[in-house]
Amino acid sequence: MLCEKCQKQAASVHVTKIINGQKTEMHLCQNCAQSLGEFDLNIDLPNFFASFFDHSHFGGQIAQPKACPACKLTLEDFRQLNQFGCSECYHTFRKEIEPLLRRLHGSSSHEGKIPAHAYASLSIERQIKMLREKLQQVISIENYEEAARIRDQIRALERQAQG
Amino acid sequence: MGESWIKKDGPEGDIVLGTRIRLARNFAEIPFPAVANREQARQVLQQAKQFPSSLRQLTNVKFYELAEVEELERQILMEKHLISPEHTQNTNGKGVIISEHEDISIMVNEEDHLRIQVLFPGLQLKKAWELANQVDDLIEANVKYAFDPDIGYLTACPSNVGTGMRGSVMLHLPALARINQLGNVLRSVSHFGLVVRGLYGEGSESFGNIYQISNQISLGHSELDMLDHLAKVAEQVINSERQARQYLLQEQNRTASEDQVYRAYGILTNARLITTKEALKLLSTILLGIDLALIPDLERCSVKELMVEIREAHLQKIMGQSLPPEERDRLRASLIRERLKR
Repeated sequence: MLCEKCQKQAASVHVTKIINGQKTEMHLCQNCAQSLGEFDLNIDLPNFFASFFDHSHFGGQIAQPKACPACKLTLEDFRQLNQFGCSECYHTFRKEIEPLLRRLHGSSSHEGKIPAHAYASLSIERQIKMLREKLQQVISIENYEEAARIRDQIRALERQAQG
Repeated sequence: MGESWIKKDGPEGDIVLGTRIRLARNFAEIPFPAVANREQARQVLQQAKQFPSSLRQLTNVKFYELAEVEELERQILMEKHLISPEHTQNTNGKGVIISEHEDISIMVNEEDHLRIQVLFPGLQLKKAWELANQVDDLIEANVKYAFDPDIGYLTACPSNVGTGMRGSVMLHLPALARINQLGNVLRSVSHFGLVVRGLYGEGSESFGNIYQISNQISLGHSELDMLDHLAKVAEQVINSERQARQYLLQEQNRTASEDQVYRAYGILTNARLITTKEALKLLSTILLGIDLALIPDLERCSVKELMVEIREAHLQKIMGQSLPPEERDRLRASLIRERLKR
């Protein structure tokens, strides 16, 4: 396969991006990949972060200098450090990092583990939500025996949540 | 420190050297390590000193303050994958907790306050996750983690946010390398949202045909879904390596394969000077020879162990002295000759 860009050299770098579920593919030679910066995307996160805020995500204007009230970190600091300063930064810069999270992870909502002790009630809510989805599934295949069982589980969890 | 995962074989152990699960966790009220001041770093260390008692019901672990661990010992911990290369430097305020079987390590004040790691031999992603999950729960019973219901566990770098989890499998892929298919296979792995790295993580070189495959994203899926995906891709790679190994055993290739293995054996059992890089390359060929039953009377685990023992810090420790570079190559060669005697 020839490089999509120069059409001269063999494509040796294959880039797949998934942004908000939209998949794009590129097949490039080493040189073009490097000049487009696509090659760096995988191996050099720091550059990626810095350039991310260069784009016109703030309507072409430079973002208002804003600092985290807890650790005083600014977006400029984040670009230098490639890290946040504290957990409060995630609240302070939530709007700014949402697109970054989607770009990094293809998603901006957590589906994994919840701290068992500190967020016990949230964990119950999550379980109820999952059981409700399962309930719909078993009803759709007319497995009423299983549905009754799941309904009982949901009731028990709801009682637990109320305390 | 007792028996390590390096010395044992696990499921798919002929190809998968090891499995690792890492969980990044931070305390809610303290700035992340890069920003924390001395006092705050101390606070984190003080909390971590309590973990051995939190974890007692599960296993015996020991806390070490890295500033009090000698440099050579720190290097050894790194060579065993118990701490990261970054964690061996600027030891101020850093710590590590290690279990007696070296299957659990918790780095304290690395990029995040806590990096909980579980290391198992062979391909055991689910089991390793279950243990990491248990360790995490026991710690969380006594501390408040930085967590957000919408975006999950909060980490210093947004690339780890969400589950804070990275699962990795360490694969030995000599046959694919031999038939020049390694590049193709590893490229297709990266098409599936996974990352391929060298032996010691980010930016490290790959020696001895050993590669780590890990999940890149940490947000948007459950831990088990991510690990399931990783396991499926790893299994494909394992299958490709198995096919390549069968190919090397075919009638028309067998003599050439034997030749490669015995040449490697010849050099390793006769060389008087050898670098780590050359030794790892040849030991990788010997390991393949053992797996294909091309070379008798050599024990797989002892060759695997030798691949760690010939690294700088281990070598210095075995020899009981600090060695100038030119001496290392000589002693490495003599250690290998000794160990490979049949």
